[in-house]
Amino acid sequence: MSERSTLLALATITACALPFVAGAQSAGGAGGALPKRDLSGVWQPANPLDGIQPNGARNMPADGKHEPPYTAFGLELFKRNRPSNGTTEVNPAEENDPAHACDPQGFPRENLFELRTTQIVQSPIQTIILYTYGKIFRIVWTDGRELPKDPDPRWFGYSVGKWRDDYTFVVETNGTDARTWLDNAGRPHSEDMHVEEVYHRVNRDRMELNMTIDDPKVYSKPWLALDKLPMKLMPANTDVPEMMCSPSELAEYNRRHASKGEIRGKQ
Amino acid sequence: MRKGCTAIVIAVVAGLLLASPSRAQNAPAKAAAPAAAPRHDISGIWTPARSPSDGIGALGARDMPEDGKPEHQPPYTPLARDKMKSYRPGNGARQVLPADLNDPAIIYCDPQGMPRQDLYELRDTQILQTALSVVILYQWSSVWRVIWADGRELPKDPPEPRWFGYSVGKWVDDYTFVAQTSGTDPRTWLDKGGRPHSEDLHIEETFHRVNHDLLELTVTVDDPQMYTHSWVALNKFPMKLLPPNTDVREMMCSVSEFMDFNKRMGFGNPTATNTGGIVK
Repeated sequence: MSERSTLLALATITACALPFVAGAQSAGGAGGALPKRDLSGVWQPANPLDGIQPNGARNMPADGKHEPPYTAFGLELFKRNRPSNGTTEVNPAEENDPAHACDPQGFPRENLFELRTTQIVQSPIQTIILYTYGKIFRIVWTDGRELPKDPDPRWFGYSVGKWRDDYTFVVETNGTDARTWLDNAGRPHSEDMHVEEVYHRVNRDRMELNMTIDDPKVYSKPWLALDKLPMKLMPANTDVPEMMCSPSELAEYNRRHASKGEIRGKQ
Repeated sequence: MRKGCTAIVIAVVAGLLLASPSRAQNAPAKAAAPAAAPRHDISGIWTPARSPSDGIGALGARDMPEDGKPEHQPPYTPLARDKMKSYRPGNGARQVLPADLNDPAIIYCDPQGMPRQDLYELRDTQILQTALSVVILYQWSSVWRVIWADGRELPKDPPEPRWFGYSVGKWVDDYTFVAQTSGTDPRTWLDKGGRPHSEDLHIEETFHRVNHDLLELTVTVDDPQMYTHSWVALNKFPMKLLPPNTDVREMMCSVSEFMDFNKRMGFGNPTATNTGGIVK
């Protein structure tokens, strides 16, 4: 009896501790079959500048023509934010964008500002996204767990994902910290925000990213922040350059160049 | 007869069931031997084995803490001592008051960089292996590092200094992965105790998988500009394997929170008078 129990225990330990060896199906050059259930690889916006999004979410830029469906509360929150880009931009010394003072961007802004070369690694129970900006990583759980009902707020929220079909991976995120801005144009969000990302692998070398914002406190209906943003596959040995916010550099820059010589303007 | 057999069977079964627990109660519990280490595999979610706080490194490198003891003084060159004069750490034998701090990773939330990412707040750490690389995911600041394992050499003249340097690694045997890092930005502090480094810093990390559930990390610092010889910052730092579905909590530096904290505590604003790591 005890030997059987020991064997069962060993089998369980082994099963539970499988190595996180990422799928490398996408390594190598162009061509070849479209891999199923595989987003792994190093991806970059098909037009490298496409992911910068200085005026806010690419499909809802703050250009005077595109206005998210604010609730009254949402509009009030928006007016408190003083961004350095977009229709409500202010002088650098006046802005109060916490991410420009190098607070974590958080999510979904990590997809909506400075989205650059992005590596995706898949393990049996996770999809892990490695971002250039800030060298931040995000974990998307794919082990069947549900989103937490009452999450602790996190800068990057809590994410779960599953395959809708062999080439479409859908991620749901909640529990984001309401202090972050949704994008670089100062759009706000609440702690009740829910974000859906849809990663669709079109062919071996191309993926499209959709992102929908749903936050009933702040927006009267869901809206599309990214609509099929095209990403192209890079070689697997691509060296991703560093891109990090350094508050000390910012402080030094402001001292040398800003009129008031402060890190940030009025709060 | 049938009733008798049934009774005997019941008795035997009952005896077996009763015997097992009592044998367990009488015999001392034996710890199960750890499973064997898998080959060429350091993947998983690891955490400091001795205690969750073992990797904090508040006084600097765990095996060379800045505690004032002579045996824990790195072999500084005169250049290092000179550079250190401008460092005002918040912990250790040379610590200053909060308002006087100039540790850029603390007062500004500048990136810690390497090797400090191994030497301060080393917590739950996930290691991934791809076909060409080993990727390390750190809890502190949710940053990732890539160690190229595709046979490339370290760059002779790194294209630009990086906070986290440039890393390559290889297996020296089936259970030991060795990473080399160079090209780090000299603005970072080597550790929380305020030890310096130059752009010529070379770091060696040895990840040794002892068994299935135990990994040991050794970090060696080599920087001829700053230290007369190489020294060990972490010596076989033990890390234990966590379940693969472990949810690692966020742990991030927030400048705005730090400012707010200082204001409430009356610590003043240390960023008002200095720029941290940028030495004038």
